[in-house]
Amino acid sequence: MNSEHIYWNPVLEKLPPEKIRQLQLIKFKKILKWTYDHSRFHRQLYDNAGLKVEDIQSFDDIQRVPKVEKSMMRDIQRKEPFPYGDALCVPLDEVTIFRQTSGTTGQPVYQPDTWQDWEWWAECWCYVLWAQGYRPTDRVFIPFGYNIFVAFWAGHYAAEKLGCEVVPGGVLDTKARILKIQELKATALMATPTYVLGMADTARTKLNIDPAELTIEKITCAGEPGASISSTKKRMQEAWGAKVYDHSGATEIGAWSYECTAQPGGIHVNEGFFLVEIEDVETGEIIEEPGHRGKMIITALDRMAQPCVRFDSKDIIEWDTKTCDCGRTFRIIKGGVVGRADDITKVKGVLLSPSAIEEVVRGIEGLGDEYEVVVDKLGDIDRIKLKIEIVSGWEDKVKSIESRLKNELRLKTNLGYRIEFYDYGQLPRYDVKAKRFKDLRNKH
Amino acid sequence: MQAINLEEIDRQIKVIKQAVSDLSIARKQFPAVDRNLVRLSASLKMLELNVSDVIDVN
Repeated sequence: MNSEHIYWNPVLEKLPPEKIRQLQLIKFKKILKWTYDHSRFHRQLYDNAGLKVEDIQSFDDIQRVPKVEKSMMRDIQRKEPFPYGDALCVPLDEVTIFRQTSGTTGQPVYQPDTWQDWEWWAECWCYVLWAQGYRPTDRVFIPFGYNIFVAFWAGHYAAEKLGCEVVPGGVLDTKARILKIQELKATALMATPTYVLGMADTARTKLNIDPAELTIEKITCAGEPGASISSTKKRMQEAWGAKVYDHSGATEIGAWSYECTAQPGGIHVNEGFFLVEIEDVETGEIIEEPGHRGKMIITALDRMAQPCVRFDSKDIIEWDTKTCDCGRTFRIIKGGVVGRADDITKVKGVLLSPSAIEEVVRGIEGLGDEYEVVVDKLGDIDRIKLKIEIVSGWEDKVKSIESRLKNELRLKTNLGYRIEFYDYGQLPRYDVKAKRFKDLRNKH
Repeated sequence: MQAINLEEIDRQIKVIKQAVSDLSIARKQFPAVDRNLVRLSASLKMLELNVSDVIDVN
């Protein structure tokens, strides 16, 4: 490919870091003023903190701006202007699209978008797809239930905007979707890692089709961390004979990051459109240097109807030390989003990340793709159980697999596990986001 | 690779923006003009995000 076509925006994506920071500060001040002037919720928040918009003159000043948590948004919604409440910054008749969060962590948050905001969503996704090699010659199959959740909606619009031919696989079941991919010779796919693996399994076991023999060349994953977990990425790439790329976004934030074709072991932050800060979970200090994990505080610099200013996403991330071979100057989040602050739970006093367990499970041959982690208590002592499927034909190796699994899990997570093996196909399957981590300690 | 002339692109964006603004006179009596201008303005905004905003620091 001609090098001049690698970038969606050949100027912005290659800006020197100091100029990116300069741009971010200019835009942050603008969105802060917009938010203060138009959102009663934010104005009250900032007034209560004694913050004036003009106080923000440098990057360090940004830390003085109060964070917004999802619970705060829940409290102000379902009120006038109905149903969005006091954070709505535009007249209701300018809202053209309703979405809501999945409600995984509580009552869903509503997200209004104007046509401009929706165009912005698609624009952010254009950065994602172009960086992952999508071009007008691609036929893109999108197998998700088009509904109130944003999921791959903006991916759909972005692919259209790029000039791709989009095939919406909405109400089809998994088998019909696979057959449609085969019939139309689709070249690209967007889905959660769970569903990418699930489709491959269905193709093999129910349709006798090897997914690697289909024409899919690239897969964009979102919704779960899997595409940045090396063992899960490897399984998906081998199953489909395709490149698998990660992307992270959220309903109340936007499409803020993307892995590029150089596959640098992480995801670029779209720093032209978003400001990402990483906060130490224990001290609350902002972490500037690479190599230290914290939770993401993020600002969508151009989102207008219901702004996202210093939103406490609870995503656990860390900056990478390296720059990317692709030439983009946007910084890299090492290993993508590794978990959530409210997901990474302390077990026996040790911080446990479900993605660390997945890394081990998906790296061992003979184990199925599905697994489940259950944490409970025996008396005062925490216990972890790992439920896992054994692939047909590997039953006689259960003892050696169990031994390897326990050793690698202890090395990776510093914890001991009880392992329960199941026959292949016995654990639950998920079409969108999987619920594999169950904490039962407060239910006794 | 030929250098990208951001200033010239920005100048053309401003020309289109002015044309949209001029067309706005017809909006109130003409829903087809009104709603298409909303979409056109959103696309223009994306051009500004990609080009005009970057000029400020480039």
